[in-house]
Amino acid sequence: MVELKDVSVTYSSGVDALNHVSLKINDGDFAFVVGSSGAGKSTMIKLLLKEIDATEGTVIVNGYNLSRLRRRKIPELRRTIGIVFQDFRLITSMTVYENIAFVLRVIDAPARYIRKRVQYVISLVGLQAKANSYPDELSGGEKQRVAIARALVNDPKLIIADEPTGNIDPELSYEIVELLRGINACGTTILMVTHEHEMVRHFGGRIINIAGGEIVYDDIIEGTDEQIVGGTNED
Amino acid sequence: MKISGFKYLVEKGVDNVWKNRMMAFASFCVLLVSLLLVGLSVLVYMNVNSIIGGIEQKNEVIVYLDDDISDDELLDIGAALQKMSNVTEVRFYSKEEAYESLKQSMAEYEVLFESLGDDNPLVDAYRLKVGDIGQISATIAQIRTLDHIYSIRAPYDFVNVLLQLRSILTIVMGALIVAMVIVSMVIIFNTTKTSVYARREEIQIMKYVGATDGFIRIPFFIEGMVTGFFAGIAALIITWLAYDAVVNTLQSQVALLSIIGLGSIISFGSIYVPVMLSYICGGALVGAVGSAISTRKYINV
Repeated sequence: MVELKDVSVTYSSGVDALNHVSLKINDGDFAFVVGSSGAGKSTMIKLLLKEIDATEGTVIVNGYNLSRLRRRKIPELRRTIGIVFQDFRLITSMTVYENIAFVLRVIDAPARYIRKRVQYVISLVGLQAKANSYPDELSGGEKQRVAIARALVNDPKLIIADEPTGNIDPELSYEIVELLRGINACGTTILMVTHEHEMVRHFGGRIINIAGGEIVYDDIIEGTDEQIVGGTNED
Repeated sequence: MKISGFKYLVEKGVDNVWKNRMMAFASFCVLLVSLLLVGLSVLVYMNVNSIIGGIEQKNEVIVYLDDDISDDELLDIGAALQKMSNVTEVRFYSKEEAYESLKQSMAEYEVLFESLGDDNPLVDAYRLKVGDIGQISATIAQIRTLDHIYSIRAPYDFVNVLLQLRSILTIVMGALIVAMVIVSMVIIFNTTKTSVYARREEIQIMKYVGATDGFIRIPFFIEGMVTGFFAGIAALIITWLAYDAVVNTLQSQVALLSIIGLGSIISFGSIYVPVMLSYICGGALVGAVGSAISTRKYINV
């Protein structure tokens, strides 16, 4: 569960990135966070990962009150969150298998469990044939599947996907969102940040629109099921 | 952390040396040059110091005794000199021995010695060697307190020159070694920083998936240690070869050896173990600590 109570973030430069934002995302929800560049989406992600602290208000993620969380407890928090970045952020010196297994090594999981679990998530994202490939040998869509498998392998309560379709072909974007929806169907909370409004309209669901550091829209819409191929619609 | 987890991190560190071989090679070269600069400076200092020590050992204090001294008094003075803490060697030099030596060295003045007949104008003496020539004045003052001392001859000027030479050498070489250590540390730190900078994104990814600072640092630490270890071995081999070449060259210079003494040059065999340990441990430690410290900036994500 993610809860923001009257949260404000002001950077040292004086910029107000978030302004008295309150938000609650329940366990098992799938929410799109939309907004133009500079609206405060990235600040919100940094806040949820405790990369930055709120200037005011309370942030609760998966039961952790981030205002009170000590620095040494941050790894513990992050192990309950899976993160998918627009630029994939895979470790180029590791194979697909190693990139995914690394997350389990961090938590000191037994070798046998790592083998079984990694093979399972690789099959979930359909990359069995690429397990021993290096990220540079993969297409954008495949890299993002690896990133999703990495986010998923630790069975996190929450997956934050930061513009996961931003660097891949439009037709593959829909596959990626379908994959995330499939993961959500198994009970994982998904928070997907995007500015591809057409795609959001296609899938529907809970839409949170941020503008100028404030939530200007938060509601559930019906999906249109129309797939727009050939570009993104940014407003 | 489980043993298997630690083993994984150690293996990853070793593996990273090969995976990041270009940066590892750069770190290796910088560490090697730094170790050689510092190591060779220390070896030069040790040898120059040893040579000065050898020259010091050649100094001699001669204690001339009264002419009318009895045999018992002679022995008492000898025993008293032996007991003095700064006196390392005492040798009796009889007036007959001195007279013979004088005659041999002045053979062209044979007529002069014939005119003296059986009269020996010289006196008995003790020839001493002192341990610390810096304390020579105090030792001579102590000798003067003994009875039946006629006069004392000590190489004060020579001692002063040697003492000045040694203190200048200590300051110059000390400053040089400290400067080289500082310069080496700065270069090593910057090289490891560059190496870590190239992998800053990797560190950030590790942080995002919940890796602890220790989990991230251990492979870098091991990687730096392995690089430093090999740099230490390479430095040892180069030093060994260079040192032996220099010693062989010096040993062929007979005139030079007659001044500095063969024993004054330290053989590599006698310092092999401390040199090896210093190079390998120093290289591994500097490499490991440099790498671990360099990760700090990128670990605070």
